[in-house]
Amino acid sequence: MATTLAMFTDTSLCIGCRACQVACKQWNELGAEAPEWTGTYQNHSHFTDETFRLVRFVEQPQPNGNLAWLLMSDVCKHCAQAGCLDACPTGAIYRTEFGTVNINQDVCNGCRYCVSSCPFGVVAFNEDTGTAKKCTFCNDRIHNGLGPACAKACPTDSIQFGARETLVTKAQKRVETLKAMGFKDAQLYGADSNGFLGGLNAFFLLLSKPSTYNLPENPRLPQRNVVVDSLLSIVSAVAVGVGAVFAFRDRGKGDGDA
Amino acid sequence: MLKTPHWEMMVVWYFFLGGIAGGAYFTAAIADNFGGSRDRRVAQIGYLLSLPLVAICGVLLILDLGVPLRFLNMLRSFKFWDPMSIGAWALGVFGLFTLVSSVLSFSSSESTIALRRKIGLVGILFGFFLASYTGVLLSATALPFWSDARLMGALFLASGASTGMAAISLIMFATGAGSGDGWGRVKKADRFSMIFELVVLAVFLALLGSAARPILSGQFAALFWGGLVVVGLLIPLVLEFVGHRMRAVGAVSAVLVLVGGFILRYVVVMSIQS
Ligand code: SF4
Ligand code: SF4
Repeated sequence: MATTLAMFTDTSLCIGCRACQVACKQWNELGAEAPEWTGTYQNHSHFTDETFRLVRFVEQPQPNGNLAWLLMSDVCKHCAQAGCLDACPTGAIYRTEFGTVNINQDVCNGCRYCVSSCPFGVVAFNEDTGTAKKCTFCNDRIHNGLGPACAKACPTDSIQFGARETLVTKAQKRVETLKAMGFKDAQLYGADSNGFLGGLNAFFLLLSKPSTYNLPENPRLPQRNVVVDSLLSIVSAVAVGVGAVFAFRDRGKGDGDA
Repeated sequence: MLKTPHWEMMVVWYFFLGGIAGGAYFTAAIADNFGGSRDRRVAQIGYLLSLPLVAICGVLLILDLGVPLRFLNMLRSFKFWDPMSIGAWALGVFGLFTLVSSVLSFSSSESTIALRRKIGLVGILFGFFLASYTGVLLSATALPFWSDARLMGALFLASGASTGMAAISLIMFATGAGSGDGWGRVKKADRFSMIFELVVLAVFLALLGSAARPILSGQFAALFWGGLVVVGLLIPLVLEFVGHRMRAVGAVSAVLVLVGGFILRYVVVMSIQS
């Protein structure tokens, strides 16, 4: 397997210019969408079938009555344990040799199970193609030695691309620096490959706790429920089965009919 | 920040009819194997009912896809931990069982009957699977309420059994099956399934606690309590116990059970998607 690649989004460097969002649209030929009034500068409120990179504008009320921004360029996390991938019945969603998660548009049949199985609500359904869409990690670019379009376009290096291991080390140093500068809540999200979902191949540096950015604190793989729920269904089956056997069994007492 | 899949009425119908198909087949196979010769009719109706229902389920499943022509892609992989994947396989296999059992149900030769019974016992497993996997499929998503419901599959299974039996008894009523034909036994089994379903439903809600809010408050609450609990379970149970000597009452109760089964799927699927 090739080196695991990653995107590291350092939100402390983001200036909210949305160059990444635009570069993603251009490279991936994603259509324009009607703007959506979200109450903040953020547009759209969430990923869509035409928006794979999305700059979030999180407004923080300050003691003096003003608002401060927390900015975050959000994207598919390319989880090491990906709910979307495990859910896909057609095998359209696959892991590339770089560790990224991609949807083969020629195989997807539009069952939409992945849409409900991503712990981050990333995958979106496209009515025109009838298939599921999400960030491809610029699959065509990385297979030609280039980084993703968003990382290339980012003027502040808020989005960095490279070998996962190198980026994690870099990110950890950056957290130290920020802490020393007084950003006491600076933390990494998804960098730990022993952490939730086996680590995210698109991981983040946040300046506040994940929930501030509307990120789940401890996302879990949806498929974890299958075993227990199936066993409980079997218990249910045995109960109904035994009931029915008894109902049909009492031959001695006649049919029980009126 | 989560997304719902926008599954709509076709999925509700699929879940509902799949439950009946599984329940009817299972009832038929039990009647076939454990009942007397008078229960033959129950067995035949159950087998013959499950066959078209499975066929309709297949059509619904295909039509609901974004690209229906690619439905065979479902069989490109087999993921035993993925309800959507094994579900598609199991639907196909169960379809074969319903077909074979239906054909064999017309035979009266002893050896065919013996074979049909054995096939029925294996087919039961797939029938149960079809009735319950749709619940597990919902609980294996990332969405709240669905993924919090540990008993979703168990509840769908109990409902599949009670609606399957109700459907059989309704057909017996409509085709004027005589009193020797096992009507009383189907009804008895159905009463048991309904009581069991009520118990599972109670535990289901107790385990969910506040996670059950999508169905317990807001626009779906009335449908849940009134439609499923009262009209779909309590009233039919009362009818069964006070009026089980009258066939018409039994038929009415069967209709209500079917209505309740549909409402269960509707409320569960639609509540968090609206
Ligand atoms: S973030 Fe969602 S869509 Fe992206 S890999 Fe993880 S589960 Fe799949
Ligand atoms: S919608 Fe497509 S990509 Fe998503 S689970 Fe279904 S087949 Fe797989």
